[in-house]
Amino acid sequence: MRLAFEERGADYLLAIKEAHGQAAPVLLRKGDDAGTMRFDVPYQMTMILTNISRFIKEGRIAVVARRCDERAIAELVKRDLLNHDNLVVIGLACSEEQIRECRCTDPCPSSADIGHCAAPAKEDQAASSIQSMPLPDRLDYWIDQFRKCNKCFGCTLNCPVCFCDDCLLEEKTFTPEKGIPPGLAFHLIRAVHLADKCVECGECERSCPSDIPLLALRKMVNQDMKRMFNYTSGDPERRSPLLTTLEGDPMEDDGDAC
Amino acid sequence: MSEFNPNILAFCCNWCSYAGADLAGVNRLQMPPNVNVVRVMCSASVKPEYVFKAISQGIDGVLVLGCHIGDCHYLTGNHRTAKRIPLTAKILEKVGIDPRRVQLDWVSAAEGEKFQQVVTQFVDDIRSLGPNPMKEVRF
Repeated sequence: MRLAFEERGADYLLAIKEAHGQAAPVLLRKGDDAGTMRFDVPYQMTMILTNISRFIKEGRIAVVARRCDERAIAELVKRDLLNHDNLVVIGLACSEEQIRECRCTDPCPSSADIGHCAAPAKEDQAASSIQSMPLPDRLDYWIDQFRKCNKCFGCTLNCPVCFCDDCLLEEKTFTPEKGIPPGLAFHLIRAVHLADKCVECGECERSCPSDIPLLALRKMVNQDMKRMFNYTSGDPERRSPLLTTLEGDPMEDDGDAC
Repeated sequence: MSEFNPNILAFCCNWCSYAGADLAGVNRLQMPPNVNVVRVMCSASVKPEYVFKAISQGIDGVLVLGCHIGDCHYLTGNHRTAKRIPLTAKILEKVGIDPRRVQLDWVSAAEGEKFQQVVTQFVDDIRSLGPNPMKEVRF
């Protein structure tokens, strides 16, 4: 991927490299030894990009991004957390297996520089089976799932679009200081915060040690956003409907962006 | 068996609905006593977090009352509410709580009667829905 530097004129490259038998994200400068690059690991580059872009003031960063990374970057650019001019996005197409794992309906990056676009997955089975349950059964199902939560905050920390410095969920008003599980409100608050920005990358579900089907919940909420406001998160043009008036004008203040 | 008396939280905006509730009280309009009114400065300050917390702790219904669209003291506060609260109800539906437990309505300062109607109707609705299932659940 030397092409990132020569063709696209980037100063840094953020990619995943093989290190000690593991895959790890690295930031490479021009002329650094790339070693073995890995493109088969689903890894949220956007998180790392947001963190390092605070320290890299000059130069453009090339990032190897999947479609979900691309959409997450669009969300963050809209909220002025990333500067699009400093970024070079190198599209990485997901493999069929990864698409199946994420139940991804939009897997193809705008320019597939690495790999070939595979067909998108069909509708999420888990989400539609939960949707078809009657309300009391659905509540029982989710309570069983949320009971497994051990408040590790993995879903929050690994989420590419969770950007608040002070997370509301760390306040004891919403999450009890002592004891697990944190209750129903914890997951619902996350659901509503991500409603207008979740890009369905599936990182919350992957990082959950208790295998709570969080991606199914995200997908259901995103379907609602689509139905209610005709809004898909990751759209680089449109402002989130929750931050505009009913006529679609931007609000005077963005207040709590989260 | 005694009748189920729902426990309802009503968030009223300081400028319209709270004054409307006041008017209803001054006019001695009869309404069910199940409603606990919380005064907030604007209906937009009712974040979904508060609704979720109330519902997950066993409140039977949450009523959010604000100024009519266009009358907001803060110009566009209730626009925010108008989008947020329906989304909140939708998310509750996704995890299996009846979305009718969260209701949004507009009551102006002059509409004491409307306040009475909204509250009476909401209490009746919640009565027919039964107690919040989260009451039974201990996490």
